[in-house]
Amino acid sequence: MSGRGEVQAGALPPGVQSPGVQPPADPDSPLFELPEELAIDTGIARRVLTAFIRAQLRQAGFERAVLGLSGGIDSALVAFLVAEAIGPDRLLCVLMPYRASSPASRADAEDVVLRLGCSSELVEVTPIVDGYFGHDGVPGAGGVEALGASALRRGNAMARARMLVLYDRSVTWRGLVVGTGNKTETLIGYTTLFGDSACAFNPIGDLYKSQVRQLAATVGVPEAIIRKAPSADLWPGQTDEAEAGFSYPQLDRLLYWMIDKRRSDEELAAMGFEPAMVDRIGQMVATSEFKRQVPPVAKLGPRTPGVDYLYPRRRPGSARR
Amino acid sequence: MQPLRIALAQLAPQLGLLDANFARHHELLVEARAAGAGLIVYPELGLTGYHLQDLAAEVAMRADDPRLLALAAETVGCSAVVSFVEESTDHRLFIAAALLEDGAVRHVHRKLYLPTYGLFDERRFFAAGDALRAVPSRLGLGVGLAICEDFWHLHVPALLALDGAQILVNVASSPGRDVAAVNAGGLGTAVSWRTLLRTYAQLTTSVVIFCNRVGVDESVSFWGGSMVLGPSGDVIAEGPFYDEALVIADVPLADVRRERIGLPLLRDERPELLARELGRIVAERAGLADDSTAMPSSR
Repeated sequence: MSGRGEVQAGALPPGVQSPGVQPPADPDSPLFELPEELAIDTGIARRVLTAFIRAQLRQAGFERAVLGLSGGIDSALVAFLVAEAIGPDRLLCVLMPYRASSPASRADAEDVVLRLGCSSELVEVTPIVDGYFGHDGVPGAGGVEALGASALRRGNAMARARMLVLYDRSVTWRGLVVGTGNKTETLIGYTTLFGDSACAFNPIGDLYKSQVRQLAATVGVPEAIIRKAPSADLWPGQTDEAEAGFSYPQLDRLLYWMIDKRRSDEELAAMGFEPAMVDRIGQMVATSEFKRQVPPVAKLGPRTPGVDYLYPRRRPGSARR
Repeated sequence: MQPLRIALAQLAPQLGLLDANFARHHELLVEARAAGAGLIVYPELGLTGYHLQDLAAEVAMRADDPRLLALAAETVGCSAVVSFVEESTDHRLFIAAALLEDGAVRHVHRKLYLPTYGLFDERRFFAAGDALRAVPSRLGLGVGLAICEDFWHLHVPALLALDGAQILVNVASSPGRDVAAVNAGGLGTAVSWRTLLRTYAQLTTSVVIFCNRVGVDESVSFWGGSMVLGPSGDVIAEGPFYDEALVIADVPLADVRRERIGLPLLRDERPELLARELGRIVAERAGLADDSTAMPSSR
């Protein structure tokens, strides 16, 4: 999965080919595949998450929220949840395509905006990204070397350009940035540090992709968005699953038993998981640990933020006034 | 014996805001008394909020704090259980629950078991209590107080009942988790609590009261679902999940006597057996006696 973030080259699947454009889904097929052990009570989850969104905003002294809407299922689900929690008039969805982004993604994002009736804005990130890497042989701020930058570097820059836009709009819209990363991508490190993972709070970070689909289907996310193959949308036809070499339901099941249920590699193998896959996913989880934690501060003084100075984010007086 | 009307104040405390939380406690006390309640129970750390970390020292108070005494002063003719951070004279901080009755602080229970695993980190910030006592009450029955995790240790309700409690009160800040669809009601935490509360009511043949908070502190959402159970394990009243509520339950206290006559589990209890075997286990674990139950090969 080279699409998003600093996944180490050694962790990438060998010999996986770009699959080309996916055939349209059969309308009679099930909307999504949900492994039995991952099924959640969507009624409870919906209540917890909408109350969580309201509480995070209230405790921070904000009434509005802003998020990046890609046209994919994760940001669509969060948009629906935020709209339900605080009303669509308090939500700003920012569409931030790059010139290579799929027009279908943009159309799906526009459909979400239309259905929710929320505010939206289109901000092209192309000039930001090309301004650094250059374009058409003309170097940008990054110099001549950057003209030949890899897809990984470009993908990271796109994610960080979007972060830059969202945090700027956070000021003008007077709203908090809501995170849209799911548990699967967080655990395997399929995210860009200080890019798509940057947010004030994240309602769906403890939901696997399969559970995102399950919840999305109950809150009104359009079927086309639920059905389509998840993609980082960096080049035509790119899909997460083709890049990784296994499906989200397989990956979600493995992560669930490995992490939530603390099964050892031997136990996972006995359950029927392919040892090579167990090995590779275990490595991806371990090598991306740094993305899930606040950077360490060198301890010198008597009391150090994050080490032995520990306050809740929402302590008295912390809300914006 | 008159039925006892119990009010469970299933509220969402504001983290670290003592004044606001005291005001809310006063309001709900007035409301509960107007509804005829003789016992009003508030959740664990209802006066301070749960996820305090280093704020704990800033919201700590002595058991004779004037603000607490002012709340107690409003309990003439009724009983209330409130929870806060208690600072001892030697500056240890405890998670505490106090029984307020007839204008006074009647009893303070300090949380015995501080979960420091999984999503919990209590032992880092708090001291553990050392005493467990049932206390007589103006309600005419003994009352035993416990705080959340205390009830995940079997002997706590057992000792309270042996010590004379006929009403067991657990105040909680239980974070809801495990939203798996296989859990009846959709929440693993709720299934676990319901099971153990019912078991304790049945095995101690006591009224069991569980008051859990709602609201959000940082990552966690507290699920509410406060409950009153009769001495046969029947659920008399139950609060909603996740919403604030003043849950009212009418408990026929005569049921305790009836249940204990019909099912004399406590009469048949063997505290001397328990003490003897515990004494042996303690000595063996401390290396002061041979392990009498070890496998021969490991001796």
